[in-house]
Amino acid sequence: MQNAINALLDSANQILLGKQKQIRLAVCCLLARGHLLIEDIPGVGKTTLAHTLARLFGLEYQRIQFTSDILPADMIGSSVFDAKNQQFTFHPGPIFSQMVLGDEINRATPKAQSALLEAMEEHQVTVDGKTYPLPEPFFVIATQNPSHQIGTFPLPESQLDRFLMRIELGYPDSAAERLLLTGRSRHSLIDDLAVALPPAQLQRIQKEVLQVYASNALLDYCQAIIRFTRESPSYPAGLSPRAGLALLTAAKAWAYMDGRDAVIPEDIQAVLAAVAGHRIRAGHLDAAAVVAPILSQVAV
Amino acid sequence: MKTAAPNQKLQFLLLGTVGLAVLPHYPHLPPLTFGFFAALLGWRLLGVRHPAWLPERRVLFLLLLLGIALLFTERQGIFGRDAGTNLFITALGLKLMEMKRERDSCLIVYMAFVAAATQFLYEQGILFGAYIGLVCCLLLTLLIAMNGLQHPIAQALKLAVIFVLQAAPLAAAMFILFPRLDPPKWLAIGSETRNRTGLSEMLEPGSITNLGLSDELVFRARFDGPLPPPHQRYWRGPVMAATDGKRWVQAQNFERYPKSNPQVSGRPYRYTLLLEPQEKNWVFALDMPAEFSPPLSRNANFQMITSELHGQRAAYKLTSYPDYNTGPLSSAEYRDAIQLPGTPSARVKELVARLHGYDAAPELFIKSLLNHFRRENFRYTLEPPKLDANPIESFLFDTRAGFCSHYASAFVYLMRAAQIPARVVTGYQGGETNEVGNFIQVRQADAHAWAEVWLDRRGWVRYDPTAAVAPERIEYPLDVSRLSPGETIYFESASGEFGKIVSLLKQAGLIWDTVDYGWQRWIINYNGTHQANFLAGFGIKGSRAMLNWLGAILIAATVMLSLAILYRRRRKLDPALRIYVRFCGKLARKGLVKGTGEGAKDFAERVKAALPEHAGEVDGITGIFMNLRYGKRPDPKDIEQLKRRVAAFKP
Repeated sequence: MQNAINALLDSANQILLGKQKQIRLAVCCLLARGHLLIEDIPGVGKTTLAHTLARLFGLEYQRIQFTSDILPADMIGSSVFDAKNQQFTFHPGPIFSQMVLGDEINRATPKAQSALLEAMEEHQVTVDGKTYPLPEPFFVIATQNPSHQIGTFPLPESQLDRFLMRIELGYPDSAAERLLLTGRSRHSLIDDLAVALPPAQLQRIQKEVLQVYASNALLDYCQAIIRFTRESPSYPAGLSPRAGLALLTAAKAWAYMDGRDAVIPEDIQAVLAAVAGHRIRAGHLDAAAVVAPILSQVAV
Repeated sequence: MKTAAPNQKLQFLLLGTVGLAVLPHYPHLPPLTFGFFAALLGWRLLGVRHPAWLPERRVLFLLLLLGIALLFTERQGIFGRDAGTNLFITALGLKLMEMKRERDSCLIVYMAFVAAATQFLYEQGILFGAYIGLVCCLLLTLLIAMNGLQHPIAQALKLAVIFVLQAAPLAAAMFILFPRLDPPKWLAIGSETRNRTGLSEMLEPGSITNLGLSDELVFRARFDGPLPPPHQRYWRGPVMAATDGKRWVQAQNFERYPKSNPQVSGRPYRYTLLLEPQEKNWVFALDMPAEFSPPLSRNANFQMITSELHGQRAAYKLTSYPDYNTGPLSSAEYRDAIQLPGTPSARVKELVARLHGYDAAPELFIKSLLNHFRRENFRYTLEPPKLDANPIESFLFDTRAGFCSHYASAFVYLMRAAQIPARVVTGYQGGETNEVGNFIQVRQADAHAWAEVWLDRRGWVRYDPTAAVAPERIEYPLDVSRLSPGETIYFESASGEFGKIVSLLKQAGLIWDTVDYGWQRWIINYNGTHQANFLAGFGIKGSRAMLNWLGAILIAATVMLSLAILYRRRRKLDPALRIYVRFCGKLARKGLVKGTGEGAKDFAERVKAALPEHAGEVDGITGIFMNLRYGKRPDPKDIEQLKRRVAAFKP
């Protein structure tokens, strides 16, 4: 199974150059059944990443471009009167898809945002009193511009919490940049990609991830981190119990990708910035700087 | 820092504790000073609930003036123990009225600590020490509670007790090892007036009551030969010849009596007297002291006097003869010895006549008088009923209950009524024998008063009327532990009729005596000399060596405590981690220190980069360690493997 994952990572790295760590985190997030938030300026490959992952996992892919005038119904779908049958029929919206890319989610109004986030949490939508389950697996990658840009509605903390991870892509390094400039267009490359890990396998992996073992010593370390965030004066709020659970699950997925059946502290440390950065964000520091004191001060 | 005064509950506790710290000063402080303090404390207590009742600045100033005036009227100056205590307690009382901010409260707590410490200038008993310790715990509790942290009082108290217990070993080490300086003599000057229990220069039937219950040691007498039998153990003190009917004092001009050398005979007792520190220059010698050397001298009343008085234990060598004849009486002595306050009343005369005082030889009268005491339902008690204006007559005819001074003074009075020269002798009688050390210990409880009658051709002859009533008082030591107020005194020989409870109580009393003796011997008397002797036994000589040892012990204690804490923490570590820490230690010596938050795997990568030649060992050790610590199915046998590999690892 690890071979399949490694092949998948290799393929993705061919498309997004020089982003191994981010791609690995994104895959980890997917294996841990979490949703992903990518935050960066436009044009660094957020959409490409989402599209690539959808391709490699063989997932049904839909993209929703959020604008300030988007309505919940535009995503979820609506009931339309069918003159032939003389009744309303539900026309599912783009959210009924295994992988949904919510582009520039912070351009949408809070109402639209919350409709998406509700669907992410419940794995189902309710229209006109009728509940429609979302497909399995269901994975949302949302992108957002840095919130200080004009015309954005930053996501509140409670909604940020719904994303297992938040990552930043950043500019490519100069070698990668050169390859981008000289190579084929990314779109055509994506079209050529073959499925590396079909959905049935993904679901099996997702189940196996939960079986990864966490020893008492590891849980001690995990709790020490949580306690540190709660007690340290440099964080406005500590990690919630849900955040702690997310941290452990993400670490399990990370260990699984590494081919281990037990979590080690390095797994926690690897995912900590992505999992905890947006939950305890202090000021405008980037995630790595936010968690740096945790990594250096909490004893392993 | 909070600026508000502590809450009401704390204020009540603070004031109550201050009261407890000062309360034992009640017997030592002048009533006015104590009353002033008590009034201020009471006022402040009311002020907790009604802050408006507290004095404003002008009133406070007047109070200050009043306090100064009170101190001035005591006329004690500002030096010495009593004056200092007065000043301090007055100041503490005034400061209470100024408890506005937390800072003031803290200051009051500190002052209360000092007030509690001043108690030890007066009293050093074991129970008293416990009481002051308790007060200090409360004060510490207040400090903890006042310094925020919002401890509930009970929790703060617990913390305070823990502090005190933790400080105890340190205090013990300081107590034993810190060089003791014997106080310079001038320091004791202000305390000369302190009221020690002891024989006084005045005998007033009743004034010896308190003395009778005091266990304080007066002297020890170590005999070269056999001990004198109990009926010869009369240790002579001041002789009272002058009376106004109520109180007896030494005759005004007895110093001018012609001195005579009594003829002594019989087997002499040679002994060394170890006198505890005294205020008077009296030395209590066995009757009749005949051989002695300076600084001792014998006054006209045959009492031994020392010319040296230095507030320390003193030793004197003496020889006494139980048989003696003091010879003829001078006219001044005779006058003093038959002096009566006014003429005896009709019933006194009637009693003397009935006992053949007027018509028979003095010896016969004495015998019939002693018989009278024995037969007419007189009893011996340390808590006699209060006697009115004419104590001797009330005692003789109404109450018929009293102790030695009642009997001695009544006896002498009746003798004089019959024109027989007689006088009261005070001193100590009996004492506790210690056969092991061949010495007699005399305590304040052994204080006694007896009579001397001058008989023709025999000189002054001792008669003890108390012996007639309570012969056990003479034959057996007074059993202080069994006394209860108002009760007829029983002596040790009379035990058994009280059954088990009494003997249990007595047993407890004996144990307590032993504990108290140990406290006095080892704690209170641990002065410079004792310390030097005690420590010399361990080879520690000189104050510099003491300080060195003290420093060494403190350092050793700190190190041991730290090690104990470290060891306890290490014991909590899981064994694999303990071995891994050893591995990290080896690497740290190579300059590869594992970061606090660095995982074993990351650390191994770093080590391998730095020490590529050890990559295999590092990987092996790290792998086993990680499997033991984080693995799904760690193999306990791997511990040994890890131990071996770490032991073999030599970077």
